[in-house]
Amino acid sequence: MNDFSELEAELKKLRPWPSSPDLAARIEISLAQEAAGRGTATAGVLPKRRSFRPNWIALGLGLAAAAMFLLLARMNVDRPSKSTGLALLTPAPITPEAKVDDALVPSALTQVVYDRKDEGLHFAEGVDQPMRRLRSRKRETMQWNNPKTGASLRVSYPTEEVTLVPISGQ
Amino acid sequence: MEDVVTHEEDWKVCFAELGPGLVLFARQFVRSIADAEDIVQEAFVRFWRKQHSIENRGLLYATVRSVALDLLRRDGRRARREAAASADMEQITEPQFAFDDGSQRELAAAIDLLPVQQREVLVMKIWNELTFAEIAAALEISQNTAASRYRYALASLKKNFVAHE
Repeated sequence: MNDFSELEAELKKLRPWPSSPDLAARIEISLAQEAAGRGTATAGVLPKRRSFRPNWIALGLGLAAAAMFLLLARMNVDRPSKSTGLALLTPAPITPEAKVDDALVPSALTQVVYDRKDEGLHFAEGVDQPMRRLRSRKRETMQWNNPKTGASLRVSYPTEEVTLVPISGQ
Repeated sequence: MEDVVTHEEDWKVCFAELGPGLVLFARQFVRSIADAEDIVQEAFVRFWRKQHSIENRGLLYATVRSVALDLLRRDGRRARREAAASADMEQITEPQFAFDDGSQRELAAAIDLLPVQQREVLVMKIWNELTFAEIAAALEISQNTAASRYRYALASLKKNFVAHE
């Protein structure tokens, strides 16, 4: 029992002023609007109507990504049957014919000289007479073919060649 | 108040029980009963929408307080107008309590003179039957502070009310 018990009893006799009867109805409407997903009631402003609008840019990008994915997936499916077969599989004894058929066979070698320069006389070590030095710049291209599959491999690289030509005494 | 009202039960049961006390609490921030009811409506809907347990009364009163303070902050002019006109409000707005006799009217007038910090604790304790722990949670103060404010409020009331008797 404290000193204020009498006062507390007096205070509890005071009844709060009753709220408006329509307050519960207003709350009911607000809760119903919340449940319907229309958000809180606004003061005279109608909530913005939600309509479905497809985002065509996003849709297009999505479809393009899906197509690219399918393309890459197809490539990945096709590729292992060739490459991993060579690298990982140890096949049964290969006949010489089959080995030849599956291997790349050199099929062509081309040399294109695109520059040749005469650099004059050159006295090489251990040689009594002077020699003419010729510098040639070329591009060589080597090509291999697989007769069985038709696959081809071509390698092209630049080369530089220096040639010493003996000078005749004529 | 002792009955445990689960969230699944009709909100009307909860509101019928808590509504008058909530409005009285809101009126500690705004004098107009219409504004207080707006605050309670917004706070109650916000509280109910978030699926909070109605047993968490500290949070419910904290929501009412937050909505009330937001309202005052949003419209400073309105708050100033409220404060300036508070002296005349008893003739304009409904009183906070229903009186049975003149003694109660004087007691209500004495409550009105209390500082807001003491009044809100008193309202939560007497007419909403919150524990000091719940009051402390709602006001974000310690339980000791809540109890201290309550005691100061009662002491002031006793002093003023007895003096007028």
